[in-house]
Parts: sequence; structure tokens; C-alpha cells
Amino acid sequence: MSTSTPASSSYLNNTTDDPTRRAPLIVGDNDFHSVTNAVCGIVEMPKTPPAWWIAFFISVSLTGVLFAMITYLITTGVGVWGLQTPVAWGWAIVNFVFWVGIGHAGTLISAILFLLRQRWRTSINRFAEGMTIFAVVCAGIFPGIHVGRVWVAYWLAPIPNQMSMWPNFRSPLLWDVFAVGTYATVSLLFWYMGMIPDLASIRDRAKSKVRWFIYGILSLGWRSSNRHWHRFEMAYLLLAALATPLVLSVHSVVSFDFAVSIIPGWHTTIFPPYFVAGAIFSGFAMVVTLVIPTRKFFHLEEIITLRHLESMSKIMLATGMMVGLAYSTEFFIAWYSGNSYEAFAFLNRAFGPYAWAYWIMVSCNVLVPQIFWVKKFRTNLIVLWIASILINVGMWFERFVIVVSSLSRDFLPSSWGYYRPSIVDVMTFVGSFGLFMTLFLLFVRFLPIVGMAEVKGVMPQAHLKDVAAQGHGDYHGDILTEKGEV
Amino acid sequence: MSSLKPEKGMQYWRSLDELAQTPEFQEAVQREFPNDEWDRLPPATRRQFLKVMGASFAFAGLTSCRWPKEEIVPFASRPDGRVPGVPEQYATAMEIGGSAIGLLVTSVDGRPIKNEGNPLHPDSLGALPATAQADILQLYDPDRSQRLVYRQSGQEFVKSWDDFAAWTGENIAGTGAGVAVLAEPSSSPSVARLRARFAEVMPDGSWYEYQPISRDAERAGITIAYGRPLRVHAHLDHAEVIACFDADPFFDHPAAIPMSRQFAESRQPSTQGISRLWVAEPAFTITGGRADHRQAVAGSAIPRLLAKLARELVANHNLALSEQAANLEPAFGPVSSEGDAFVTGLAVDLMSHRGSGVILVGPSQAPEVHALAAVLNQALGGVGNTVSYTEASDPERPSHMQAIADLAASVASGEIETLLILGGNPVYDAPADLGFTDLLAKVPNTVHLGLYEDETSQRCSWHLPRAHSLEAWGDGRAWDGTLTLQQPLIEPLYGGRTVAEVVAAVLAESTSNGYDIVRETVAPVFDGGDFEKSWERSLHDGVVKGTAQPLVAVELDGSGLAGAGAPLAELVAAAEPTAERPELVLTADRKVYDGRWANNAWQQELPDAITKTTWDNVLQVAPPTARDLGLSEGDVVEISAAGSSVELPVSLVPGQAAGTLTASLGYGRTAAGTVGNSVGSDVYRLRTTSSPWLVPEVDLRATGRNTILANTQDHFAIDAIGFGARNSRISTLVREVSIDRYLADPEVIHHMDHHPPLVSLWKDKQYEGEQWGMAIDLNACNGCNACVVACQAENNVPVVGREQVINQREMHWLRIDRYFKTEPGVGPLDVDDAEIAFQPMTCIQCENAPCEQVCPVAATQHTEDGINAMVYNRCIGTRYCSNNCPVKVRRFNFFNYHKNLEEVEKLQFNPEVTVRSRGVMEKCTYCVQRIQNVRIAARNDNRPLRDGEIVPACAQTCPTRAIAFGDLNDPASEVSRLREDNRAYATLVELNIRPRTQYLARLTNKVGGGKSSGRAPAHHGEDPTHGKETG
Repeated sequence: MSTSTPASSSYLNNTTDDPTRRAPLIVGDNDFHSVTNAVCGIVEMPKTPPAWWIAFFISVSLTGVLFAMITYLITTGVGVWGLQTPVAWGWAIVNFVFWVGIGHAGTLISAILFLLRQRWRTSINRFAEGMTIFAVVCAGIFPGIHVGRVWVAYWLAPIPNQMSMWPNFRSPLLWDVFAVGTYATVSLLFWYMGMIPDLASIRDRAKSKVRWFIYGILSLGWRSSNRHWHRFEMAYLLLAALATPLVLSVHSVVSFDFAVSIIPGWHTTIFPPYFVAGAIFSGFAMVVTLVIPTRKFFHLEEIITLRHLESMSKIMLATGMMVGLAYSTEFFIAWYSGNSYEAFAFLNRAFGPYAWAYWIMVSCNVLVPQIFWVKKFRTNLIVLWIASILINVGMWFERFVIVVSSLSRDFLPSSWGYYRPSIVDVMTFVGSFGLFMTLFLLFVRFLPIVGMAEVKGVMPQAHLKDVAAQGHGDYHGDILTEKGEV
Repeated sequence: MSSLKPEKGMQYWRSLDELAQTPEFQEAVQREFPNDEWDRLPPATRRQFLKVMGASFAFAGLTSCRWPKEEIVPFASRPDGRVPGVPEQYATAMEIGGSAIGLLVTSVDGRPIKNEGNPLHPDSLGALPATAQADILQLYDPDRSQRLVYRQSGQEFVKSWDDFAAWTGENIAGTGAGVAVLAEPSSSPSVARLRARFAEVMPDGSWYEYQPISRDAERAGITIAYGRPLRVHAHLDHAEVIACFDADPFFDHPAAIPMSRQFAESRQPSTQGISRLWVAEPAFTITGGRADHRQAVAGSAIPRLLAKLARELVANHNLALSEQAANLEPAFGPVSSEGDAFVTGLAVDLMSHRGSGVILVGPSQAPEVHALAAVLNQALGGVGNTVSYTEASDPERPSHMQAIADLAASVASGEIETLLILGGNPVYDAPADLGFTDLLAKVPNTVHLGLYEDETSQRCSWHLPRAHSLEAWGDGRAWDGTLTLQQPLIEPLYGGRTVAEVVAAVLAESTSNGYDIVRETVAPVFDGGDFEKSWERSLHDGVVKGTAQPLVAVELDGSGLAGAGAPLAELVAAAEPTAERPELVLTADRKVYDGRWANNAWQQELPDAITKTTWDNVLQVAPPTARDLGLSEGDVVEISAAGSSVELPVSLVPGQAAGTLTASLGYGRTAAGTVGNSVGSDVYRLRTTSSPWLVPEVDLRATGRNTILANTQDHFAIDAIGFGARNSRISTLVREVSIDRYLADPEVIHHMDHHPPLVSLWKDKQYEGEQWGMAIDLNACNGCNACVVACQAENNVPVVGREQVINQREMHWLRIDRYFKTEPGVGPLDVDDAEIAFQPMTCIQCENAPCEQVCPVAATQHTEDGINAMVYNRCIGTRYCSNNCPVKVRRFNFFNYHKNLEEVEKLQFNPEVTVRSRGVMEKCTYCVQRIQNVRIAARNDNRPLRDGEIVPACAQTCPTRAIAFGDLNDPASEVSRLREDNRAYATLVELNIRPRTQYLARLTNKVGGGKSSGRAPAHHGEDPTHGKETG
């Protein structure tokens, strides 16, 4: 398929809406076996493609940079960053919020869209969940290393100690520890549990003892029995129900770090929904950024179809508008509240020394998604890919604007400052992408990047008796009644 | 065994001299180390070098095996009343610019750790300027000179005091022909006595006194007016109208502290009104910052302004000048004061307060201007009330500029064989036109006594280490003449000696030990009575009571004034400088003074009171002048005059006179030490003997480079939005109201803000015992920075260096916010005039503290007595507290700032305050260690705490007593009383933080009330939400 022109004529284009029938979620002449072949084939490739090696080498090098920077930081002091007195949180916290935000898409897709019966999620949920885990790993690094005395960072945890001291439960930073910790745990469980039937498929297809052994352990003895499926479906439903509030809570709690403080520009009640919308926005953008090259490289266009990408661009359009609404609401309230400090904080954002960052943010987050009103752009992969990257640039700048511009000019003009990142800040952030990509590349090489079992459930073959029901219903149930076994 | 046999073979000889066994050869053999020995060594190879260095290191270690020779021996048994680890205080003194200031030095187990003011000393009154407090850091400065050095033909030899004595015995003898002494002026009677001895013993020798910064112009002016040099004393407590012409009595004066305090007291609200301060000056001073009416006037236009005032007084107010001054009147010139509100207003004010007005002229103005001021003070009836005079201690001495010029002439003519430079640093600070450095090379024998091996030492044949004032016995006189004693708190760390000791040694006096010299000097002062008793009493007090100089009656001297007419007329007619041909005004630096504190890290990192610049001297330029010249903040410009040029970065300062550039002396040192070397630029190079303070018509050239100034507060160049917001906030942050309005409506301060009802999320803490609070009177504060250094010394606050200040990581717990107030609607780069508001800002100890709520590990907590305490051990360094601090006073240890300290530097630390590690937050504690000390003492005595007993370091040293501290639960305490004052207000009340530190609003006293810069209070009815906060 050509990525440079809209694939309207191709069979791969399933974006045309026909009122008489639902568009297929999987295109091409696929049956269960071909899906298994396509997905497992990536893991079972006899020879790792050179492109993978090149990407992996770059990513691992960058990961090395990350850990070198962290070592330098820990041995020298957080002064190696550009932090200073009014702006005591800089890129580390910006990166933390950025990565946590990205980590929203996976669980949202797997849990919320699952509960909402959005069957199209099946093609991308595994992929998105993987990305979530890796983003949360990257996110988790930053709050850990940004403290002044890393070696006592464990005091954040409520563990018994000789001082008989609890941490301060009034502090949003502590809530953060719990929120992110819980989210990471549940996301990991959800991701891993959802993968078990697919891991078992790989085990069953294994041609070498080592592979058979490793995947055998990972698939926890899955035998695809009805009882297994029954338990699996129930557990999956429960975890989805458990993860759903977490999707909303984790970024709400992260936003409390700011909203609960008294700094003008931080102290706003709009933050929780605004942060969650922004997180979904950036998470979907990151999924799109990663999925476009991956599906091309591993020939998954028939499973992760153009329609999936189009749906995601619609979500980006919606969440981008929410974020835009939040921006304008902030300004309105800054004026309407009559609070001169808040009014100044927002005026200063838009026209002060950090105006450049603010307008990058607005252009990328509000203006760029507007192109998705046009179907031609939604279905043009290059446009979509560039837009998704710009959106993440914009979302990074959104956090930068919130964290830095608010802190740099608060109440007393005497303590105003201007924050500049140091080279270590930059290298640490770049390094975190290395870690993310390293984990991601390992994931695509060694684990099933598409939830085969779930995809099969939404294929026409699973619904032979009720074609009209395609795209509806509790498809896990469908699988159970219609298919019996994979 | 053939070697034992007598020589029978060939005779070998090295030189003909040896063969001939000449006396020269014998001598060469006698001398163990001929001077040129090292020159003859072959160049070292790498291996040799490493061998020698290795051995040197090994042997260097051996030196520490020697137990230091102690003369002050440890106690064999503990004397009564002495507890190890309990700090003790001793009265002593130090000299700054020829005037002694009394110190009370805290000493812990034999090491002095903090300089405070001696309350019994007239120039200290318990307070100290920042410079004198920071001087303790010099004591422990590892760069201080630790050895005697003798230099000959380019080589250095480390010598001993005995070697020096032997040398002087050979070289300084007889009638002293060819011997000259160049000393720093000193008020010390001992030095004066030894100087007299020098004149006796060596009648052909000569003694010169030089210091770069002096009040000689005033002295010369008074000589013109009264026929003899007198010392001027202003009594601001008696003054209702104070007019300063380029004068900065709150900083640049030996009696700055008493004058600051008198002024602050004269500004306390009373129904009789408060004093009014008029200031005309080229660049902002801290005095200008307190002015009710301030006019920015070029340095060269000050004489004209004063002449205008004189004309206005004489012509329009019929002020009769005495007949002796009649000759001056034509010099006032055809000046018209029409339209000059400053002059006409001041004239009216002075006339309506005859007898209680005073005109002060600064030391950088010409003598004739001082003479005119003296004439006017006399005519206005101030003499005897607001101004008084005492006899000058040394009436015969020439001015310092004259003295150094005379010395230069003598050296040039080859008369001087031996030059003893006792203190000072003339190579660095002598006027550039003398070429002192080159002249010094012409003197065969030069000796320099200095604390450091500085620029002068490096060019002298002998360098002698000088004892720090805390290491030596000495004496001195306060500005009013009070005899002040200086006692050592520690043995000289590096064997230094004082000026008196060196002179005594050179003269081979029988008493050459500082202790005996001082006792011998003061013996006649204690007339009658038991000497030992008086001595001990005086040593304990630090001063000898009743030794102030008597005031003298004065009469104008017609002949002197007659001659002053013509020069005054010339000064009055001087052309105004323009942006194209600007004048350069040199000033004493507020931090390093004349350069002597250049290696003092506290002073270098202290933000200048006006520019807030650290680690640099700048060229202060008025924004409109800079705009005309196309310059912006941080641009490096080259200033040239008379063949020399200096590069300086531009700092835009509103309130600077148009066409006037200002730069401070004391920077650009090349041999100050690791801290002070190449910090800033040396503007002494533009200084001449004839015009030491004002360099007219300098050339200015932009170098095209731009530098980032290490400012601790916003650069003046700021975007329009920030500028506007800042200006609109100042009136609520630093509240100010005219005295008339305040007296008419005492509640006016409380009407300056309104906020909705404040509700707390938490239950209020109840305080059973004490709960501490502070009140800072902005009406008293003049921004002098004394508190900042006091806090630094008391609390082991680290110095972070220029780079870190640029990164905005300075660690000062207490800072002084300086705001310029300008007319609304003027853009940031068009400001040509401004007022200044100072606000000392440190942790305001919020009762409802935002920092406490957000710390995840509970490292910042309220104590039982209400202090917002920081638990360093518990802090993990999330910095969330700093983000949430509305006044941003929390300081974070981004690095281990104590890592590279040398052992000797650690001796200064206050053992009662934790030295913070890397990665923890710190901030003001209300000096909790002082609270605890007093509390323990009170508990031991089984008595309640007394109000005023606990004094934090900042409050202790405040010259104007602007800071009060005490128990808020005690309704009778001073702090409770002040917080009940109608001027008391809390900052950022609307945040419901309920600060324990409150401010007292500033009062202005402009003619006719003036407009208050405070926000106009909207009239409101029964609004319960405005007004005072209770903590």
C-alpha cells in the first residue's frame, strides 16, 4: 500500500461508511489462521530484520545516555539541571507528566473502550497497553531521580521506620506516589493477563525448546479450555472495571500536584478533567505515531486498518478540542474571578517571556487537530503521522507552560526568574525516549503486538450466524458461544 | 685508604678566586645558599620534577607534625562560669577608613565566629554594617598571607620576623634619611604615639598617610569655612529637614549607624510630624532610597544646585549670610531657581524649620561646596543643634591625595631609599596619574605589611603578614573621638603583626608587643585611680567612657571664604554632562568598599542595595541615557578617559542622573585571592589626584559584547507585562502612605486590600506557651544589607558563586527586595526617575503554611511555639515546598556547597546551626538556636522569658532597629504592641497564610502631603474582611 496517497481505492480502505452494513474491522482475506500467522510471525521471524537492529542500537545508546545522566545527577546533585529558586520543578516534572499522560491511551483503549463495547479497539489495544507500560516506566523514573536526596526517596512510602513517622498524607505528591503506583501495577497486570492466550499460541507454535519453555512459563499453563476462557473473560472484565477509574484518577491526581498548590496558574479546579483529556489526547497521538510505522513494517495493515487510525484521529480531534476548551476556560476564569494574580499568570503565559512556548502549545494542540475535520487528512498516513508527532510536541509544551511559566512569576515580583534547561535536562529527556523505544522494540520483537484472541472475536468468522451483529455486543461472550476455541 | 693520605697529586681549583682564597670567595662559601643557586641548576626533567615534587609533598606533611606553639595555654582546670561549647562575647574593635567601630565578637571555645556591634560604642550602638560583619571571614580566609617573604632579583625567600628585624637593623637606622612610611590613616592613639616616636628617632624620615576613600574634601571645606580642619557631626535626631547633596550618611560615613538610627527614630509617626529628607544625587544611594524628595543631579551639577538653593534662600527668603561669607554670594551666579521645585521647596522647608534643618554634602564634592554648606548651616542656625564640630585629630596632615602625590614626587626624585608601606594597597588604589607601580620599582628597599600578598606586596622586596584585627591588640577612636580598645580573640593564625608592632620593631622600641604598646598608650588616659581596674573595665566595655572629643564653638573665617568665591563660581558654571559626553562618577563600593573586602565571599555575593548585582561592579546608566546611546542591560562598554580605559557591563538604574555614569571602586583586583581575583573591573585606572571622584567627559564605546549580570532580583530590562504587573503590586506589598493622610485616617493602611472571608481547611493550632512573631518596620528600613550578612554569619549560609547566582540559586535566607516605583504609564526603558521601596523578606513563618501542607515526608512542620521548622534530616528534597511558598524564601542545596571548604574556613561555622547537606531545603528559622539558648537559660534560672531577651541575628544588627521579635502570646511584648499598630499589615493576606512576620507601613512626608503611592482605598462599610490579620 502506498502511504503517500489516500488509500481510497485500495481494499485496505475500510473508512467508507455504508449505512447498510458496518464496515469490517479486519480487512482482506483473513481467517483466524492468517491472523495468527501475521501476528506470531513477527515473533517467530527466524532472522531479526536489520532495521530492527539499527533502531535497537540507537535506542539502547540513548538509554545509555539516560543512565549516564542519572548517574551524573545522583553523584553531583540536582543542580546539574536548570532548576532554580522560583522554578524548582523543571523538565523532570514536565517529562513525568508528559510520560504519564502518554501512558493513558493503553488502559483507556483496553478498559474504557472495552466497557463501552468499542470493538475496533481489539486491533490496537495490546499495542497501546504495551506503550502505556513503557511510558509509565519512563514516567516513574523522573519523580524518583528529581528529589534532592535520591538515597532516601523511599521515605515517600508509608513503611514502618525507626522514626515512627508516617508520610504527610496532606501532600499531593504522596497521593501521586499511590496513584501512579496503582496505575502502573494494574496496567501491567491488565496487559499481561490479556496477553496470556496469545502467549500460549506462541508457545504452541514454538519450534525450539527454549522458546517453548519461555513462552510456556509466560503463558502460565493456559490450555484454552472453556473454564480458562470463562475465568479469563471474567477477570478481564473485572480488571477493566478496576482500571477504568484509574485512567481517570491517575492524571487527576497528577494534576492535584498543581491544583492543590497556591501558585497562580496552578491553583485551578479545572485541572483534573483538563489533564485527563490532555492525557488521552497525547496517548492516542503516541499510539498513532508508533503504530503507523509498525503496521507498515510488519505488514499488519489488514489488522490495524485505516479505519482504526481514522477513529483515533477522531478521538484526537475531540480531546484536542477539549484541551482547547480548557485553555479558553482558564483565561475566562482568570478574568472572571477578578483575581489579579491569576489574571496576570495567564496574561504572562500568553504574552510574557514564555509566550513562545505557549503559542507552540496552542498551535500544536488546538490548531493542528482541526485538520481532522477533513477525512482526506484523517486517512492520509503521512499527514496523520506528522500531526500525531506535533500533538505530542504540543502536549509536552503544555506541561512545560503549566509547570514553568506559572512558577517563574508568582506573587512577589522580586523573586521572579527565568528558567532555562541545562544540557543534562535535555539529554535526560532524550534518553528517556531511548528507554521507551528500547522497551517498545523488545516488545514488538518478542511479544504478540496484536491481541490475536480478541481480534478473532471481532472477525466476521466469529459471527457467521449474525452478520448484522458485527460490531456490537459483548464479543467475548460471542467468542465463547460461537467459537468455543481458538 | 689512600683518601686519608694528604694530597700529593695535582691541585684542583674551581676558580682563580679559590686559588687565591680571596675574601669574596670565602664569603661565598660562608653563604650557604647563594642567591643565584637555583638559576644554575639544570632544567629539570620530568622525572626529576616528579621526584622533587613527591619529596616535597611528603615533607609538607611533616610540617603538621609540629604542635602549634600556643601562648594562650589551655586551661588546666576549668575556671568558674566557663562552660565548654557555650558561646561567649568579647568587646573589641576594628578600623574602617581611619575610624574605629566597636565590635562584640561571639567566640566558641576560643574561636571567634561572629562579629556583632558593641552597644556601648557610639558608632555601633550594637549594630554593624555588612562590611564589618563580613570581616570575620577574612580571619579564616585561606588566601590570607601566611608567611614573610623577601624578594631579591626575582626570587622569593621565606623569612622570619627575626630575619626582618635583622634586616631593618641594617637598613633602617640613623636619622632615617631616605626612609619613608606610607601608612593607612589610623585613629589609633598607639600608632599616633609611635609615629611621633618615629619622627623623634628618625627626624629625616617621612611619614605619609593615604587611603583612596576619605572625607578629605569635607575637611578641606571646613578649613575654608572655619580656618581650621574640624570634624563635622550631624545630629539627625535634632533635624526636621535634612538635605543631602550627593551625601549618603546612611552608608558612606563612619557614623552611618548612629545617623541611620537617629533618622529612623525621627520618622516614627507622631502628631508633631516626622522629619523630611531631601536628596540630590547622581546615582541612587540607600539614603536616596529613603528620600521624600529626590532629584537625580549630575555630580558636576551638585555645586550649581546648592548655589541655587543659597541664592533662593538669600534672594527670596532674605536669609542673611554672615558677613564673612559675603564674598561667596557672587559665586551663586545668575542662577534662577524658577521652575525648580526641588530648590524652591527645599528653601521654604529650610526657612520654616530654622535651627532644625541640616545640609549635608558628600565626600566626593569639592571643598568649596562643603564650605558653602557650612555657611548655609551656620546661617540657618543649625550649628550647635543639627550640626556640631570637634577638633580634627591631626590638624597638620595634608590631604591623602596630596600625601601620595608628595610621596610620588619624592620617589621620583630618588630621595627614598626605603619605603615601608604599612597596610593599604597603593599599587592597586593609588591615583592612576601618579604611576605608582612604576615608581615603586625605583625604590631599592620596599616593605609591605598586609593581610594578603596583594598587588603591592608582590612588588615589594619584603612582604610582612599583618595580624587581623581579631588577632591583635590595638586601639582606635570612634568618629566622635571615643577611645576604643581592640583585644584579640585568637592567637594570630599565621604569625601576623599589627602596624604598631611593626613600627615599634623598626624603631627597636623597648615595648614592641601589641599588648604593652596599647597599655602604655592608654595609661595617661586613665588619669588617677587604679590602672588595672580601669583597664579591665575599659576592656570589658570596649570603650573608655567619657573620652569623646568636646564640641567646639566655631566662627566663620572670612579670609578662607573670600578665596573660595572664585573656585566655587567655576564649579557652579560647570557644563551639564550629556549622553554624548557623559561624566563618570566613582563611588566607594557598598560591599568591597575600596577593594579591601574583594576576597570576602560574603561581600561578593551580597546583592548591592540598589542594583542587586553580585560578583561584579557595573556601570550604572539611566534608562533614557542608555536608550540615547543604544545600550541595553549587560552590554559591555569601554569607558576611556585620559588615556586609560576600562570595560564594564551596563546596568540600567532608574533614578540615575541623565548623562551621568556611576561605577564603584574596589573591583578588578589581580592579587586579591581566589575569591576576588578578576571579579569586575578596576576603575581606579580612571582616577586622578586632581579629580578623584568625578571623571568629566568620558568616552564611551560599545564593545558589542553582552554579559549576564549575576543579579539576585529582576534585571531592570523587563517585558512590558511584567513591568506593569510589578508596578501594580508594589503598592500592596510595600505599603506606603503620607504622614498627613495617616494621621487623618490611621486605618488607611488596612484599607489597602480587600479579600473574601478566609476559611482554613484545618483546625487551628492552639498555643499554650510562647508563640513567636516578628514585625519589620519598613518605615525604618533603609536597605543597608546588614541583616543579610548577619543571617549568613549566624546560620552558616553557604556562598554559591557567580555562576550559581546567575542560575538564581543564591542561598541567602534573608533578602532585601528592592522595588523601583515609577509613574504609571511610563515604559520600562523610559523611566528617568523613580523612588525605591525596600522590603526585607525572609520566611514569614505562615501559621497556615503552604509549604507544610505539600511536603510528602513531613519535613517541614510547625513547632510547639509556632515556628515553621525545617527538619533537614527528614527532607528528601522534592522542592515542592519552595514551589508552594508564596514569597519564595526557601533555599535549596542544589549541590554540596561546603564540599570545597578548607579546614580553616570551617572554623567560622556556628556550631549551633546544622551545616546543610546537598539536596535539602533550608530557610529562616527565626534563629531557633538563639531562642533555645535563652529558653534554656531561663529554665535554669526558673524564670519566665523576658521580652526582648531573644534577638534573632537580623534584628540584633539592624542599624535602624527595624526588626522586632517576641512572643505574640504576651500582649505586653514589643512585637505584640507593634502588630497592634495601625501601620501593621501582613503580606498576601488573601492567601490565608497568616504570616507571623508582619510589616509596618512606610510613611512619606512630601511637601503638601504629596500623593501617596498606596492604592486609593475604596470606601466601604462594615466589611469584616479587611484589616489586620492575627497570627
